[in-house]
Amino acid sequence: MAMSSTSCCSGLLAKRSAAFAPSPIQQLSLLAQRCNAINLAEGFPDFPAPLEVKEAAIAAIQAEFNQYRHVQGVCEKVAEAFENTHGVKVDPKTQVTICCGQSEAMAASVFAVVESGDEVVLLDPAYETYEACVILAGGIPRYVALDPPHWSLDVKKLENAFGPCTKAIIVNSPHNPTGKVFSHYELGAIAALCCKYDCLAITDEVYEHITFEESKHISLASFPGMQQRTIVTSSLSKTFSVTGWRVGWAIAPAVINAAIQNIHVKLTDSAPAPFQEAALVALQSSPSFYVQLQQEYKERRDFVCNMLIQAGFSNFLKPQGSFFVFAQLPDKCPLNDVDYVAELIKEAGVAIVPGCGFFHQKNWTTMPAIQDHPASADKLHMSEQGLDMAAISGSGVYLERFVRVAFCKDMVTLMAADAAIKKHSARLNSPSA
Amino acid sequence: MASASTATDNGVPKPSSSPLPVDASPALQVSKRLEQFKTTIFTQISILALKHKAVNLGQGFPNFDGPDFVKDAAIHAIQGGKNQYARGFGIPELNYAIAQSFKKESGITVNSETEVTVTSGCTEAIAATILGLINPGDEVILFEPFYDSYLATLAMADATVKTVTLRPPDFAVPEMELRTAFSNKTRAILVNTPHNPTGKVFSRKELELIASLCKKHDALAFMDEVYNKLVFTGEHVSMASLDGMYERTVTMNSLGKTFSLTGWKIGWAVAPPHLTWGLRQAHSYLTFSTSAPFQWGAVAALSAPDSFYQELIGGYRTKKDILVEGLKSVGFKVFEPEGTYFVMVDHRAFGYEDDVAFCKHLIEDVGVAAIPPSTFYIDPKNGKDLVRFAFCKDEETLRTAVERLKANLKRPALSS
Repeated sequence: MAMSSTSCCSGLLAKRSAAFAPSPIQQLSLLAQRCNAINLAEGFPDFPAPLEVKEAAIAAIQAEFNQYRHVQGVCEKVAEAFENTHGVKVDPKTQVTICCGQSEAMAASVFAVVESGDEVVLLDPAYETYEACVILAGGIPRYVALDPPHWSLDVKKLENAFGPCTKAIIVNSPHNPTGKVFSHYELGAIAALCCKYDCLAITDEVYEHITFEESKHISLASFPGMQQRTIVTSSLSKTFSVTGWRVGWAIAPAVINAAIQNIHVKLTDSAPAPFQEAALVALQSSPSFYVQLQQEYKERRDFVCNMLIQAGFSNFLKPQGSFFVFAQLPDKCPLNDVDYVAELIKEAGVAIVPGCGFFHQKNWTTMPAIQDHPASADKLHMSEQGLDMAAISGSGVYLERFVRVAFCKDMVTLMAADAAIKKHSARLNSPSA
Repeated sequence: MASASTATDNGVPKPSSSPLPVDASPALQVSKRLEQFKTTIFTQISILALKHKAVNLGQGFPNFDGPDFVKDAAIHAIQGGKNQYARGFGIPELNYAIAQSFKKESGITVNSETEVTVTSGCTEAIAATILGLINPGDEVILFEPFYDSYLATLAMADATVKTVTLRPPDFAVPEMELRTAFSNKTRAILVNTPHNPTGKVFSRKELELIASLCKKHDALAFMDEVYNKLVFTGEHVSMASLDGMYERTVTMNSLGKTFSLTGWKIGWAVAPPHLTWGLRQAHSYLTFSTSAPFQWGAVAALSAPDSFYQELIGGYRTKKDILVEGLKSVGFKVFEPEGTYFVMVDHRAFGYEDDVAFCKHLIEDVGVAAIPPSTFYIDPKNGKDLVRFAFCKDEETLRTAVERLKANLKRPALSS
């Protein structure tokens, strides 16, 4: 019996929250649920978390670690792992904040350094939350489009986005939604610009342990001049398949970390205590855990890439990291991404995500360059040389032609999706339409 | 199995450098509006208490654990694979349980899908409500003494804060001061009832006064009701249940205080759809979603029978009596709490210039830690005569504290 006098209260909404509209992704998500679709849309696993990590959480609950708690050991393990992997010394006492997931670490980091009028550079396509945090903090997002189909970074275009008002750049690598892992060269270029313009970098490295072949994850913080100006955010979620536990962290120079810590305490007070305890166990995993993680994800990646090729997709970057494939709709498909996804849900019972929600072309600082795509099957192995970069006239049509497929799913799920898509394709191609 | 946390933990947050030093390089400066927010008083007191091995009646969380049936539900959820993202605004079962609970408390039926949002503790409910519904420059009224996160979060939203001071002995709402605080720029008033740190339970009459002013000035009411199950005297009244108030009220609560599981971080906000919309947006960018296994624990918790709550109050009443009796016997002027698990006292009988000095003496020489509440006021002078004790501790701890007070706390007049 909620009172419905919305007219009297419509002015009561904060202007900034009125600017955020529900995404088409939410509508499609509801459709997927209604149709009981196979879920290759959302970025969380449908297979269990490692047993010893779950057992650690249960043991913590039983040992009565259930009140507000800060587990300093997590900071120590995070610092140790960062130093071992990236060669950057981190003081666990002053440079690490444990948060409710990387989500909160990002929000707290942005609130700590972004003021009204500050510009923040974002690389498109981009996970939608970064922009929202920047706007909530009073900042102005400035987008630079990565160039399809490899989503390469044009350094000149990037530099155009920097200016006297630039406070920070947000870098997500390995990258959602494209599966790109930023190269040493690209990160070096970003680092050089941060130093040149004396600004900060905030990174989202949640997929840091999901990389393939030679694409090693490199942290921006490990570049010359970057240690004192980089905030690194990451979490347990993707590495340990516990996206629902909400344990993440920020690593930053002491002064900035103190601010992040203080904000975090005011936003949520602390991360769930028993899961901080479990994090101690998770972060002590042997190297073989990470090797196996990569192997299993590689198997899934290869399966899904094959699935997409057979379904007629031909122009996409074979993921170098993360558990997403960002694929361009087949040329002959007349639909846009949203309509394609809706049809796939309804007709094949498989849910994926339209790419439009990741593009922010209204805020691009320079138009992207797009490569003509020959219809060849070994596009997946294209190298950088010999690409013709033809500038488009700004129609931005490709912005509605990409879909994101998640492969953080059990092989059984992926095989079921493959079968469903093959069946749907057969129906489409059968003469008795 | 879980390895034990390091010995330095004990629930004490890691100290951040305080205050924030001004950095030489402008690019590295943190945003100005946050420079004033340093390490909390709780951290400082806890560190001092640990150092002096004082009985800690400062921290506002229990030293005993939550009920097995709730913990078992969370464990079952972890084992059952419920470890992935919960729906952003809450798992349906918990939203439903919260709606049921709200109906019981307020008499109002709400739609669990559109009017209930689950957050990482009530702290996040407050942050999401403020960031989602307050515009820069809006005026927000706070009662002081206030819980310290309110001011920080309002600063993050660039709100203009107006405070109304609650004073001993009753901490009654001063009507004229409240009327003056309201204006046409008032966007909201934030009310914590039952109230931390005073233990006051806002009366129906007081809430009706606040309600009338909200309606007159078309303002919102943000209600922090985490202690609503801990009422000893009188009754807790739901602001949302007052005439014409549901449409302009956000009612917030959490699992932690009622079920002694403060580390699980499960809270919620109940509000009409047009207000829920804004706070859900902010919530989705602050934390995205709330811990899944503990939401399942909360579902079990909210199914607790009435007898659970009766035992809860009975247990806390006993604790309150032990502490209040003890505090009175050594010479404090005690303002008997109507609710919460806090009690405020006047320490002036002991001859210290202010609450900070007194609390330091209390830790170092008496062996008991309490909180100096001047930090909960805009003008610290308003709190300098007072001290906040917490009795969310097991009886043995409380008795030990009382023994130490009796043995070591001396009034100047008695020592001549």
